[in-house]
Amino acid sequence: MSATRDAALFREAHVAAHAPSATGVWSWITTVDHKRIGILYGVSAVVFLLIGGIEAVLIRLQLAVPNNALVSASTYNALFTMHGTTMIFLAVMPLNSALFNYMVPLMIGARDVAFPRLNALSYWIFLAGGLFLNSSFLVGAPPDGGWFGYTSLTLRQFSPGLNIDFWMLSLQILGASSVLASVNFIVTILDMRAPGMTLMRMPLFVWMTLVVQFLIVLAFPAVTVGLIFLMFDRFFGTHFYDVAAGGDLILWQHLFWIFGHPEVYILILPAFGIVSEVLPTFARKPLFGAPVMIYSGVLIGFFGFGVWAHHMFAAGMGPVADAAFSISTMLIAIPTGVKIFNWLATLWGGSIRFTTAFHFAAGLIAMFTIGGLSGIMHSSPPVDLQQTDSYFVVAHLHYVLIGGTLSGLLAGTFYWWPKMTGRLLDERLGRLAFWTFALGFNLAFFPQHYLGALGMPRRIYTYGADTGWGLWNFVSTVGALGIALSILLVLVNAVRSLRAAPNAPGDPWDGRTLEWRTTSPPPPHDFDTIPPVYGRDTFWREKRGDRYGRKPTPIPPPVEPHGIHLPAPSHWPVVVAVGVLIAAVGALSHVLLVIVGGVIVLAGAVAFALEHHRNPAHEHQVGELPVDRRKSAMWVFLGSECMFFGTIIGTYLAYRGRSVVGPYPHEILNIPVTTLSTFDLLMSSLLMVLALAAVQRGDHRQARLWLLGTVVFGLVFLGFQAFEFTTFVHEGLTLQQNVFGSTFFVLTGFHGGHVTLGVFWLFILWVLEMRGRLAPKDAIKVEIAGLYWHFVDIVWIVIFTVVYLIP
Amino acid sequence: MATTSPAPPGTHATSAHEHPSTGTYVKVAVILCVVTALEFAVIYIRALSPIVVPLLLVLSAGKFALVVLFYMHLRYESRAVSAIFAGSLTIAIGIAVALLTLTGAFLVFGR
Repeated sequence: MSATRDAALFREAHVAAHAPSATGVWSWITTVDHKRIGILYGVSAVVFLLIGGIEAVLIRLQLAVPNNALVSASTYNALFTMHGTTMIFLAVMPLNSALFNYMVPLMIGARDVAFPRLNALSYWIFLAGGLFLNSSFLVGAPPDGGWFGYTSLTLRQFSPGLNIDFWMLSLQILGASSVLASVNFIVTILDMRAPGMTLMRMPLFVWMTLVVQFLIVLAFPAVTVGLIFLMFDRFFGTHFYDVAAGGDLILWQHLFWIFGHPEVYILILPAFGIVSEVLPTFARKPLFGAPVMIYSGVLIGFFGFGVWAHHMFAAGMGPVADAAFSISTMLIAIPTGVKIFNWLATLWGGSIRFTTAFHFAAGLIAMFTIGGLSGIMHSSPPVDLQQTDSYFVVAHLHYVLIGGTLSGLLAGTFYWWPKMTGRLLDERLGRLAFWTFALGFNLAFFPQHYLGALGMPRRIYTYGADTGWGLWNFVSTVGALGIALSILLVLVNAVRSLRAAPNAPGDPWDGRTLEWRTTSPPPPHDFDTIPPVYGRDTFWREKRGDRYGRKPTPIPPPVEPHGIHLPAPSHWPVVVAVGVLIAAVGALSHVLLVIVGGVIVLAGAVAFALEHHRNPAHEHQVGELPVDRRKSAMWVFLGSECMFFGTIIGTYLAYRGRSVVGPYPHEILNIPVTTLSTFDLLMSSLLMVLALAAVQRGDHRQARLWLLGTVVFGLVFLGFQAFEFTTFVHEGLTLQQNVFGSTFFVLTGFHGGHVTLGVFWLFILWVLEMRGRLAPKDAIKVEIAGLYWHFVDIVWIVIFTVVYLIP
Repeated sequence: MATTSPAPPGTHATSAHEHPSTGTYVKVAVILCVVTALEFAVIYIRALSPIVVPLLLVLSAGKFALVVLFYMHLRYESRAVSAIFAGSLTIAIGIAVALLTLTGAFLVFGR
């Protein structure tokens, strides 16, 4: 891109900040505005919510009476699989994302997220994943192995069609989208807060968003690794889950639930954050014990990583493991209970306004508490063994995820709708929707506790009349129709509001936080001046003063020397996402499409990276953290990579000595040659830091030399790896030969893939340097590439020790 | 009430920080090479076989730390960045060890 065009982009961005929003489909496709991306997430999620809801209604209609034949057994399997997967990954998570996107920057007084184009990329990849998953219906192969995808049910032997392929590929795509978005939001929240917005002054919703992003970054890699193993087993005949070859079916359960339990908190914590905003506003009181609420949320997130195996009490882990996970599960109830008591204390003595948002928030407290109490019952292994795979568990999880999460999301929708649309919702219709929802929900799911206690198993498509389950199943179906009616009422309310409702003022609820300080809807640049922060509930303090009515001394807005900068729209995010979609389709049809998709992704990513290379507005990206935003983002990403490689290395070690046929490691590993390649990779790290130092000094000659040197050393390492792989294959060790071959090639292959990506990245930087486009101000770009390169190095340090050296 | 007092404005520091000198980089590289050579050597010394696994793990951890602290400059970064990476690494190691224990490959406690 020429400097002239860069300058033009910069000017356009400044003009755009004070111009009306662009209109038309293309403006939405190329948008990088956090508010528009929030709306895109919201609309997409509502569509998927309706699809998942239709699946739920079909499930309930099938079970309404005994011996029903509305759908076949195989259709029923697909319905409950797609219902669970859709609701979790395509409805609730993106509904949360919609609110993160729209509200978090406003609540912290920022003009956008840290990486607006990355934000758009996350959305378009999410949409690609959602469309890919649901396209399985079009080819008659919807996933049918349950949302948990337990092996061996999902292995090729028992699921030979494309059904599971659609599921496992789409989950990997959706996971990538989630991790990218989370890296973005962590940096946004840590780095882009308005001056004075200390961490402890952040609204609870922002805090819970932050905790959730860390959970996503650290939990998704585990299931990604599990899915990669499944993909290799299905596509390439490896033995990760092949018991006869020494694999372990329980490994999948571990990897899935290491992700799956934090996922519960990924779904519920945003709702907790919403309720913590709604209740103080409508009780006209500060949140009771706000710091303790923050600590509780953080503790829930932290404990969330230590309780996964309570989903596996029936798997026979042994009494010590059962006891450990039982205790940790009981412990997590403490911070959760703290939240519930603090919400009640917030209401105590408050001057409550019974708005629709308040109704849903109060409903969450009641219904989540019921789900929480049955959860504590599951923490006891002997009790859990009786309830596992029964409708009691179905009742529990729906009390948490509908009574909790969906109630919270509906509270948030009614609370923030005026801010997002500039229109008010009908309160009477809203309250009618709440009571329909509350009645329908409890009618649908409370009886399922009884059904479970009576012994009705999950995932059966019909039952006999002599079981005695007919009455409560019928009641449950009536309740499900009630939930559907309530969602319909919410949609009618929304449409009526958009068509004819009165305009909403900027602060319709007499709010407490910064989003209410700007217009409804906010302008593209969010705030005309960066808002002042006077403490927790800053806007309330500004309007009403402290408890004695004393107003704070006004703080002048910070000077923005370069005026308001908004990022220019970009089409590269959607190009990359299209590449991802093509590659995924190719994985199920023709390898050529995989190559085409891969090339589009790679070319799109390079264009994406270089789009603003010379844009002066992108040079300094430093905020509250004394670290460049791009570097902070890389560190967060590397944290996620730690989990990724930690899980693969853990699996390699868990499978040591399990191969039932040779060749075995001691027969084949060439330690002297690998030691040489290790020296090579270590020395490439030295060249990398020398290259960085040269770029920082503006010494172009040395920068070219050391960058090229790093690339060459990287290529030499890859050469060593190619030699090793070729030799092993000639000696009989392949991916398919034994468990050692599967784990060895996948571990070292993924590391080699990272090295290849690093070499490509450094090569691009070298080309830029050769063309004189790498100035000292661009050193941060070299430093970020260097962080990635050194990370690849430290992963190899671990692999060299645990794979090659330890006998 | 202290709660109404204005907060101190945010400090928008620059991202510039000290990096080690070229000499330090080279010294670290030399140490990495020496330790790698030691790792290679100890596996052939029979007398060390009872302690070879912990010894290799310690040497590997030392190399890991050197690269992270000096080449990745974590020693010079803000505490927030250090906490993010150290926290993630700790959780990753904890989960890997738990996984090994639960699959019976490495028993921290009996089953």
